[in-house]
Amino acid sequence: MSSEENLQETDTEARFEFKKEQHSAFQSEKGLTEETIRLISEDKDEPDWMLERRLRALKQYKKMPMPTDWPGQPDLSELDVEEIVPYIRPDVETRGGAENWEDLPDEIQDTFEKLGIPEAEREALSGVGAQYESEVVYQNMQERWEEKGVVFCNMDEAVQEHEELVKQHFMTKCVPASDNKFAALHGAVWSGGSFVYIPEDVTVEMPVQAYFRMNSEGMGQFEHTLIIAEEGSEVHYIEGCSAPKYGTHNLHSGGVEVFVKEDAHVQYSTVQNWSKNTFNLNTKRAIVEENGTMEWVSGSMGSKATMLYPCSILKGRGATDNHITIAFAGEGQDIDTGAKVYHNAPDTKSTIESKSISKDGGRTNYRGLVHIADGAEDSSTSVECDALMFDNESTSDTMPYMEINESKVDVAHEATVGKIGDEDVFYLQSRGLDDDDAKQMIVAGFIEPITEELPIEYAVELNRLIELEMEGSLG
Amino acid sequence: MSGATRFHAGIDVETVERIAEERNEPKWLRAKRLDALEALSDLDYPDVIQTPGRTWTNLADLDFEALVEPFDQTEEKDWVADDQATVVPFHEALNDADLEALVKEHFGSVVDPEENRLTALSTALFTTGTVIYVPSNVDAEDVKIRTTMNGTSLFNYTLVVTDQNASVTILERQDTGADAATEERYYSGIVEAAVGENAYVQYGSLQDFDQSTYNYTLKRGVTDTYATLNWIEGNIGSQLTKTGVSTLLEGESSETKIVGAFFGHEDQHFDLDSKVWHRAEHTTADLVTRGVIDDEARSVYEGVQDVGRDAWDTSSYQRENTLMLSDESEADASPKLIINNHDTEASHSATVGQIDQEDLFYMEGRAIPEQAAKNMLVEGFFVPVLEEVEVDELREDLEERIHERLH
Amino acid sequence: MATIELKNVHAEVAEGDEQILHGVDLEVKSGEIHALMGPNGSGKSTTSKVIAGHPAYDVTEGDILLHLEADDFDGIDEIPESARTWDLLELEPNERAALGVFLAFQYPAEIEGVTMTNFLRTALNAKLEERDELLFGEDEDEDEDDEADAGYETSPMEGPADEGEVGVAEFQQLLSEKMELLDMDAKFAQRYLNAGFSGGEKKQNEVLQAAILEPTIAVLDEIDSGLDIDRLQDVADGINALRDEQGTGVLQITHYQRILDYVEPDTVHIMLDGEIAMEGGPELAEKLEDKGYDWVREQVYNAA
Repeated sequence: MSSEENLQETDTEARFEFKKEQHSAFQSEKGLTEETIRLISEDKDEPDWMLERRLRALKQYKKMPMPTDWPGQPDLSELDVEEIVPYIRPDVETRGGAENWEDLPDEIQDTFEKLGIPEAEREALSGVGAQYESEVVYQNMQERWEEKGVVFCNMDEAVQEHEELVKQHFMTKCVPASDNKFAALHGAVWSGGSFVYIPEDVTVEMPVQAYFRMNSEGMGQFEHTLIIAEEGSEVHYIEGCSAPKYGTHNLHSGGVEVFVKEDAHVQYSTVQNWSKNTFNLNTKRAIVEENGTMEWVSGSMGSKATMLYPCSILKGRGATDNHITIAFAGEGQDIDTGAKVYHNAPDTKSTIESKSISKDGGRTNYRGLVHIADGAEDSSTSVECDALMFDNESTSDTMPYMEINESKVDVAHEATVGKIGDEDVFYLQSRGLDDDDAKQMIVAGFIEPITEELPIEYAVELNRLIELEMEGSLG
Repeated sequence: MSGATRFHAGIDVETVERIAEERNEPKWLRAKRLDALEALSDLDYPDVIQTPGRTWTNLADLDFEALVEPFDQTEEKDWVADDQATVVPFHEALNDADLEALVKEHFGSVVDPEENRLTALSTALFTTGTVIYVPSNVDAEDVKIRTTMNGTSLFNYTLVVTDQNASVTILERQDTGADAATEERYYSGIVEAAVGENAYVQYGSLQDFDQSTYNYTLKRGVTDTYATLNWIEGNIGSQLTKTGVSTLLEGESSETKIVGAFFGHEDQHFDLDSKVWHRAEHTTADLVTRGVIDDEARSVYEGVQDVGRDAWDTSSYQRENTLMLSDESEADASPKLIINNHDTEASHSATVGQIDQEDLFYMEGRAIPEQAAKNMLVEGFFVPVLEEVEVDELREDLEERIHERLH
Repeated sequence: MATIELKNVHAEVAEGDEQILHGVDLEVKSGEIHALMGPNGSGKSTTSKVIAGHPAYDVTEGDILLHLEADDFDGIDEIPESARTWDLLELEPNERAALGVFLAFQYPAEIEGVTMTNFLRTALNAKLEERDELLFGEDEDEDEDDEADAGYETSPMEGPADEGEVGVAEFQQLLSEKMELLDMDAKFAQRYLNAGFSGGEKKQNEVLQAAILEPTIAVLDEIDSGLDIDRLQDVADGINALRDEQGTGVLQITHYQRILDYVEPDTVHIMLDGEIAMEGGPELAEKLEDKGYDWVREQVYNAA
């Protein structure tokens, strides 16, 4: 990146390595029972309807089978949900988050220092919600946005403060708990996350940012993000994830629901860097109304296994979807990710770009579904998947599915797989770069078409993570 | 076993024994039939693609077995071949000691009879077939096989074996007899090909059954070093077709090409898959399929390029294009790459669309009526795959059938 | 004054045992221009690749040495005596490059997504850093383990990674000067490395890279093929400038006498069947143009 040097960077390596001792106020019993769910809800002082939704989701979760019949899907046999503690509330006096940075316990401040969050704030990001374990403990929304009616708050707080909006949108028509087993699990035990509301015709120029982090051994993370962008509004939401290394398998099963109203524009960016023992099984979905635009930017670097297919339902005429996906799988990782788009209205458009890199026995898979409904005339979709393989221990799969029920459409899918060329490496070496730098440069070039479309801080973060991944293999 | 009571004649040991007895089959074959029969109830239907809330082809609801009439497998078969290659009806081959040994060696070695419920059914009940054997260094003339189906069900088996440096082109055509009753019928065909070192086989097939036919075929070949196996798969007829065409590239530097063309109309349903497994170094595969669907027809395409861990220096390409002529038609496609060796150059692409309106407008501007222009464009759409067809006769047949369907 | 010396170099294809070089002897000094000519398959390109350290070839016998004098590198007062003679065969390709051995490729790699500017600045800084390490050892350079342990005491936000010796602004200045010299369009700087370049643009780019990296010895593999006459002139100017301004020793591999009209060689070597068969002054190239390689073959084998 040419302007990299103008930017502040977070030290992702430091982020990755440290962990803190636990002093939690409340820790639910292991395993999932109705009792656990009631405890969670009670502890949060939730309205009855939310408890009911949780209990219904629990029933659905118990009923549904594990997804095990997908061709070539990641191995989930080591995942024992019952063993993963679903909910931990950090030891903070003020429920719903501290108003000021200084009010946070030192230990948590210290953790955030290393995550670079105050720094990010100094960079004038418009709001910072940082999730330490399950609850958002620190919130700050710049006043000018609040004046315009923009809401950016902890999801738990939203249940209390914006009850009607939440009741209407929370796991109803976008991601119902019945969607899949992990969505059901999420619906039962969700905790924390962000609620974002952008009123009509308001444009939030700066990205709204949230960091999530898992820090307790064997602890699940089930944060819920609900974004409502009213007509003509615009927002860019950034989510970053990283968890320190632990011995037992962690589970992350977040839920993201985005409502993009007429002419609204939402960009949702994630760089996921969960530790290499995390099962990352998320459900992310957007419903896009007339002439709305939804953009998903996902970088999947961490986790043991990821199954993530952000979905856009293009419901209104002229709605647009844009997916950018980068996956990097190293030793022991299985990154199964892609996109889903439903074209349910005429003149809808989707573009999916995917780049994946596998090395040291890692596996990447692009799994994508594009569905064009009967009557969605003049819709178009274009999918491009490129994969780069480092070595012969790795695996790179591509599994697109196209379901076309309308003839007046334009559907194109292209995919390539290749290796790092020996000649290319030699050429760069002969110009003075060592073997590793040469490979790194080729990888950076490979994902460049995607990074150039990213917000700059994301591009930097991604490149840093890739450098770290690649260095890791050399040491 | 589902619907066992609805069989026109029992699919049971007695039936299988009788088929074998009437044809005076050797013990080993009888045993294979009985094994397949026994396995039947535990086997699943062939894999079909499923996505959330959708099954691309629903085979389980079609009761293939109910269409089976083991003792009414009537057909007409013509073979055209020259002296250099051996082309004989399956059961005639068993009368010749050398040929019987050849059949015994290869039967069921490429397509496991117990691969799925339909292959097992086919193995248990087949009554007709062809054995093609081309000895070393023989460059055989084109072999032509025409199968005309007259009964309610027909189970057909074809074995192709070529020795070192042999070369042969095989052209197979299937259709329905003019006198055949209009009730529903079931055709099932299995083709196994063992292509020897540096041998060349082109196997072309044109399926043109009437639209009361349910058609299941599985064609698979295995290649030795430097061998080439090219498949051409034309699908025009049938009510429902489920086919698999595949090559196992087992010999170093071997090659395969799978060329497909289909044209579905009315309420036809085609579920076509092309698969290649790269299992040796320096292998090359090229998968090219083009299809047109009209009316309420539905097409399902799956293409798999699977590169094994030891398949160094692989080249593998796949292209699939579907043209939709009607709003009520439906096209599903899933081209897949499974790559386990990084020394691979692989790509695939797929498109679905309609006739280009600009092209149409241009032609109409040159005074060509709309329908004629459309027809020209459809015929033009098929040209890239037709060009891959090396057998003139097959290409001309395909062209003719496409032309007929358009007019 | 630097010298590259090939002594009795035998080389074969790494995978397989096809021997290509059968004892090549060659010496190129700073400030000299040598032409290496020969028919297809005589081993010219292989010679260039073994000098640069291409992994596809194994040197089975002989030496490739680089001799340096104390003041050969600008910015380094005195090269330590222990670091004045290098056995290139023991060095990685990038280490050879760091010592000033430059290969202009006959077919340069096309690398998407990496801009020329980014690439060349990275290469220049890598070269300077590696050169220091080679000449003076890995002394003050941080030990990586220490850095990892100490990591948490400093803010993670401190400064971007490894700026390198040559900063962005300084480099851009340097690049635009050199590009002007070679009459190259300024927008090249933002294009991806060789991606979509015409044959001529690629060759020009190779010379540009040499101009930036300031090699002690440049091996130019068919830098003149695929060039129209205008570009040939630009490229030739670039090569002459390398010699005149930076004192680079040039080994120019070519099929054609044409470029030698613009870049006059001090010595012409003719290669046949993996050996240097004949040597002479610039007039040898002209003679060759007239009489062809059969004449060389006759001369050599009759004499032998």
